[in-house]
Amino acid sequence: MKHLLTTFTAFLIICSSFSQNNNAFKAGEKLTFSASYNMSGILTDIAEVKMETSAVNTSGTTLYRLKCSATTYSNFDSFFKIRDLYESYVNPKTVAPYLYQRDISEGGYYKFVKYKYSYKTNTVSSLIRKKSKNFASGFWDRNNTIKINPGTRDIVSTLYKLRTLDIHKAPVGASDTFTVLFDNKEVKCSFKLLGKETINTAIGKKECYKIAINVVNENVLKGSNANIIWLTADENKIPVYAKFKIAVGSGELKIKSATGLKN
Amino acid sequence: MKKVTLVLSLICAILAIILAILPLFKLAFIPTVLALVFGLISFIKSKKDNQSTHVVQVSFLLVIIALGLSTYKTVFTVQEVGNTEELEQREKENEEKALEELEDIEIDDIEIEDLDLE
Repeated sequence: MKHLLTTFTAFLIICSSFSQNNNAFKAGEKLTFSASYNMSGILTDIAEVKMETSAVNTSGTTLYRLKCSATTYSNFDSFFKIRDLYESYVNPKTVAPYLYQRDISEGGYYKFVKYKYSYKTNTVSSLIRKKSKNFASGFWDRNNTIKINPGTRDIVSTLYKLRTLDIHKAPVGASDTFTVLFDNKEVKCSFKLLGKETINTAIGKKECYKIAINVVNENVLKGSNANIIWLTADENKIPVYAKFKIAVGSGELKIKSATGLKN
Repeated sequence: MKKVTLVLSLICAILAIILAILPLFKLAFIPTVLALVFGLISFIKSKKDNQSTHVVQVSFLLVIIALGLSTYKTVFTVQEVGNTEELEQREKENEEKALEELEDIEIDDIEIEDLDLE
């Protein structure tokens, strides 16, 4: 009887962790941020970052298109023009990506990355495209098939997946690790709940979850617990503020507007 | 000591001018203040020793230009996104290609009935 009860409880826990539904966002959500550079308290706005969701109909089903774009402000354009586009086509419930596209143009440098996920074989077929004068088409293409671990996502869907987690159930100090495929390499990202904090934002005073982001064994983000994201402590879990430590000074991402929220 | 402060003041003033011209003009306030402090020290010392203060005056002039330029830019610059036509074009093309790709992707266990689409 005791065994039966234990098995039943274990089954319930497993079920609840797998059937985590997306209650945080819906199609038509639009979040606008302003990315700025902070040095000794002097803030310089550099770029506008947008996170949008929309529904995409294929012949068989409906998917969510998660789109993140970064555009530098006009006064930076003549010095370093950034027009980045990251998009992920995901399962609306589980936020599992099926297709990921990264199309970046940064100060004359262009790169296009496409990942097509195949969950049956746990592989990703990747395409990396760069500009090159050596080819008639003007582009240098490289196709690869990468073996991935189950649960590996792309960077955009990881950000959205974070919002669908039941953070209110997690104790302070709890952490969760995601595997992210970036530049054909699997990178482990861990998110640690540091606690709750009420902060002032452009969309009002919000109680937020303070979550530290760490990239395991990589030098992308510096410092421990120095890269923090604030998610509103409600059902939407909108990222309202983020702080990243860089070599000199720090980078900040502040919300400007949020429309089309689910709750 | 006087020479060191003089050189530091000049370097900071030039740095302030460069930053004031660049889009990171708000950062110009930091070297501006430093240039002023070093310039003042150098100016007072030169006065005490009855020496020429011409170079310090040049530094002050640069500081005034940098300060004026960065203040003007801070007040009057409106942060707006530049031309995004090309980005929108790429977005459209990417979406069309993605839709073609998604047609032959195997998608299982998606329950779309209770989706909240708008």
